[in-house]
Amino acid sequence: MEFLFEQLANWKFYLIGAYPTGALTGLVLNIVLAVLSIIIGLFFGIIFGLGRISCRRYIRHSCGFCVDVVRSTPLLMIIFWFYFFLPVVGAKLHLFWCAVISLSVYAAAYQAEIVRAGVLAVPLGQMEASLSTGMTRLQALISVILPQAFKMMLPSFVSFFNSLFKSTSTVYIIGIVDLTRTGILISQLKPNRIFAAYICMAAGFWVVCYSLSLAARILEKRLGILDYESYKPEICREDLVLLPLPKTVKRFLVSQK
Amino acid sequence: MKFLNLRYEFDWGIPFREPFLGWLITGVKLTLIIAAVTAITSLVFGTILAIMRVSRFKFLNIPAKIYVEAVRNIPGLFWLLFFYFVFPQLLPFGLTDIVNRYSYYSVIAGILGLTVDNSAYVSDIVRTGLLGIPRGHIEAAVSTGLNRLQQIRYIILPEAFRTILPPLGTRMIHNFKNSSLCMAIATPELTWATQQVESITFRGLEVTFLATVFYIGLSLAMAMIIIRLERRWKIDMTSITSMKN
Repeated sequence: MEFLFEQLANWKFYLIGAYPTGALTGLVLNIVLAVLSIIIGLFFGIIFGLGRISCRRYIRHSCGFCVDVVRSTPLLMIIFWFYFFLPVVGAKLHLFWCAVISLSVYAAAYQAEIVRAGVLAVPLGQMEASLSTGMTRLQALISVILPQAFKMMLPSFVSFFNSLFKSTSTVYIIGIVDLTRTGILISQLKPNRIFAAYICMAAGFWVVCYSLSLAARILEKRLGILDYESYKPEICREDLVLLPLPKTVKRFLVSQK
Repeated sequence: MKFLNLRYEFDWGIPFREPFLGWLITGVKLTLIIAAVTAITSLVFGTILAIMRVSRFKFLNIPAKIYVEAVRNIPGLFWLLFFYFVFPQLLPFGLTDIVNRYSYYSVIAGILGLTVDNSAYVSDIVRTGLLGIPRGHIEAAVSTGLNRLQQIRYIILPEAFRTILPPLGTRMIHNFKNSSLCMAIATPELTWATQQVESITFRGLEVTFLATVFYIGLSLAMAMIIIRLERRWKIDMTSITSMKN
């Protein structure tokens, strides 16, 4: 027990590192990474998720292709792609932004699936009703469909945030000093205290993730149970046409058929 | 490619030159082995955990619950690092030396770490499947004279696995992708091989591209297989509901 208390004297390192004087590291960096990438990922996730249920085949298939490619690539590979490919293109980015970009690409693909499932779970009548009150499709989507869908998606967003937060531990491989790297560094500095360092590392992740999963459970209870299993998603729905194209383009596409 | 301002000339010969090709092939083999072995071990271990969690006995129930809550809230990478760096230290003195001298320990550590991480998720999935079995089926099994073990073997598990096949398959694809994390502990699998090529030749993009294509192709193939299996093993629910009435 004593060796654990000795490690707890390093709590500041595990949490924020040498922040005011040096770089921000440790657990707070993991949280910052996760929050930033889930916000950026949500923006693109909504676009791609709505694109996947678009009625236009080319939009649906191209969005589906992008999402599937990202979803079936390991996160580590995505991180390496941005880590090695961005300098080649000529972008000189700080490591932190490199990590944020790759994590948000990863988050966008997974959130696109959540958004898709949530929007499809809104009853069909909602769109019909809002169209009959004279709204345009985009207005109905923004002010009627999406708010309801978001309410349903909230529990899965929280649990995805949980898993994304755990995934942020991966970025230590490209040299960002997050909680994982802090734990490894401290365990390398004091090899006889390796056990305590790893316990502190695990505890940091566990506390945040456990509170998040508790929050998800409470949300699920409060918002009512969502049964995605019983629900069968339709691939295409006429009422959810995004991106109304100009008529000339439409005519061109029709004549191509 | 002028418009992209690329300062990189692709050399597609790199992945097929000798030392690198050997590494990549070993990497592919090892990735497949790790994914397959962890899939099997975590399925077995996760099923045992799930049966423990639905049991009424507290001495089975509580440890399984603690295990799942502990593992699910800690990143998988931690377990890999733990089994590579810390676990040998916890062993009795003689064993530590043997483990440290064993050159393939990183593979074993990778398999152990991925199994620990994956089995918690698998147990959660199997548990929902077990809880979803209608009570009448178990009662019917009891009335035909099957004992508890036979019930689990012939009635409960086959039924549960049929219903949980889609989430279980997704989890196994996840596990396959997570096997790339093993490079953190220098297991010579595919991602590690690409990084090795990158660090020696500074021409990582070609190899990374090939590796990404491999991962995407195999994940999509696994997804296809799961969809096929799901279709084949689907229970005709209409006959069951008509029986209920």
